[in-house]
Amino acid sequence: MALQKKIESKQFVVCGEIGPPQSSDGDVIREKSKHFKGYVDAVNVTDNQTAVVRLSSIASAKILLDEGVEPIMQMTCRDRNRLAIQSDLLGAAALGVRNVLCLTGDYQTFGDQPEAKGVFDLDSIQLIATVAAMNNGFLLSGFEMKKPPEFLIGAAANPFAEPLEMRLIRLHKKIAAGARFIQTQPVFDLGIFTRWMERVVDMGLHEKAAILPGVMPVRSAKALLWMKEKVPGMRIHAEYVDRMSNARDPQEEGVAVAVELIRALKDMRGVRGIHLMPALWESITPTIIKEAGLYVAH
Amino acid sequence: MPFPEDQTSYPDLSAKPRKSPLVKSLATLDRRPLTAREHKVSHFLLFLEDIVKVPLFRCQRCGECLLSSTAFICSQNCPKRLRNGPCGGTGEDGSCEVFPDRKCTWYRIYFRSRLLHRLSPLYRINSIHNWNLEKTSAWLNVFRKRIEAPSLFVRHDKQRVKDIIADGAAEEN
Repeated sequence: MALQKKIESKQFVVCGEIGPPQSSDGDVIREKSKHFKGYVDAVNVTDNQTAVVRLSSIASAKILLDEGVEPIMQMTCRDRNRLAIQSDLLGAAALGVRNVLCLTGDYQTFGDQPEAKGVFDLDSIQLIATVAAMNNGFLLSGFEMKKPPEFLIGAAANPFAEPLEMRLIRLHKKIAAGARFIQTQPVFDLGIFTRWMERVVDMGLHEKAAILPGVMPVRSAKALLWMKEKVPGMRIHAEYVDRMSNARDPQEEGVAVAVELIRALKDMRGVRGIHLMPALWESITPTIIKEAGLYVAH
Repeated sequence: MPFPEDQTSYPDLSAKPRKSPLVKSLATLDRRPLTAREHKVSHFLLFLEDIVKVPLFRCQRCGECLLSSTAFICSQNCPKRLRNGPCGGTGEDGSCEVFPDRKCTWYRIYFRSRLLHRLSPLYRINSIHNWNLEKTSAWLNVFRKRIEAPSLFVRHDKQRVKDIIADGAAEEN
């Protein structure tokens, strides 16, 4: 589908992100999808992010497909063992989902049901390899499928966690296992990101997979500080906290910061797109895409 | 009938020629569960193994020992029991995201690997854990060729890393 073609032809890709609701209300997703339709190439649907129960990512992906938005289904290893993962992947493929983002998943104690059993039967790298094997026509049992799925495999990377080299080793393994696009944690420190990106280019990994750095528009300095405190592995440069807290209109400043980051990332060597994650602020997507000059009228 | 002596009822998938090399590398070498006799032997060997491995490496007895590729720090101390490197939650100071007062297991593995010049094994994609081997003797599993033998000495580590990275780049063409 569209995302795969764009990635294969090395065009600039823009992804969005939707968090499904904590209810059975599919209209929430339909409503949110309107902010993305026509503005981005594909939209991530999260899989019980931060270990909080939400409407399933497969069902959400199907709703997006019906709305005419290409979904990227997130699949985590926290909630399913290898049997459930393979069966869910086959089900998603049958529903028409073509993009899957393979993640290990947040640990269950971060969520609202910390007593839960975390599965972690596979890790993200083994999950990527599993999907790649399924694309080749094989289940993990060795059974050869008559009609294999055709997933475009994505993975995540965190350029901001230490040590840098271990991050690159893991990225190398993910790409070797079959990942074709990489979404990163939101960038709030261009210095560290540039250092990581230079190493990625040195290793030639940007040729094999499309690197899509994350950009997160924030509404207030409070939100930024909350992330710095609560989200593990996040790095936020003090400059952005200052700017957000000194701004007369924090919302406007949030957009300005996001647009600035997108412009800076777009010119960076090896970057092949942007992953926009406006958490709880989906309505801002069209403004940011237009202001960053990424909007292409169809 | 948990562990029948007669193994014909279990499919021997590793013996089958596979078209997909990936599936093969994802599974342990021999996927059959231990026989009843092997369990008895394993029980005895595990006793000896624990005396060495638990105090030295905080072994979690996964039965598929990775110690030789993780610079002799047991990766199974990670709360997520990751076998292929750290998750994205390592803090700036190398703290674990689940237990912030603890160091990330893979953070320690990386620094010790660098110290001991054993970085190249970190590039290997480790197979999916075979839960049949949980709480069995890894020594027996090596001897019975269920898992790969450990490589105690890693030579030309820097060159190996270079080759792995160069190989990856060449694969595309």
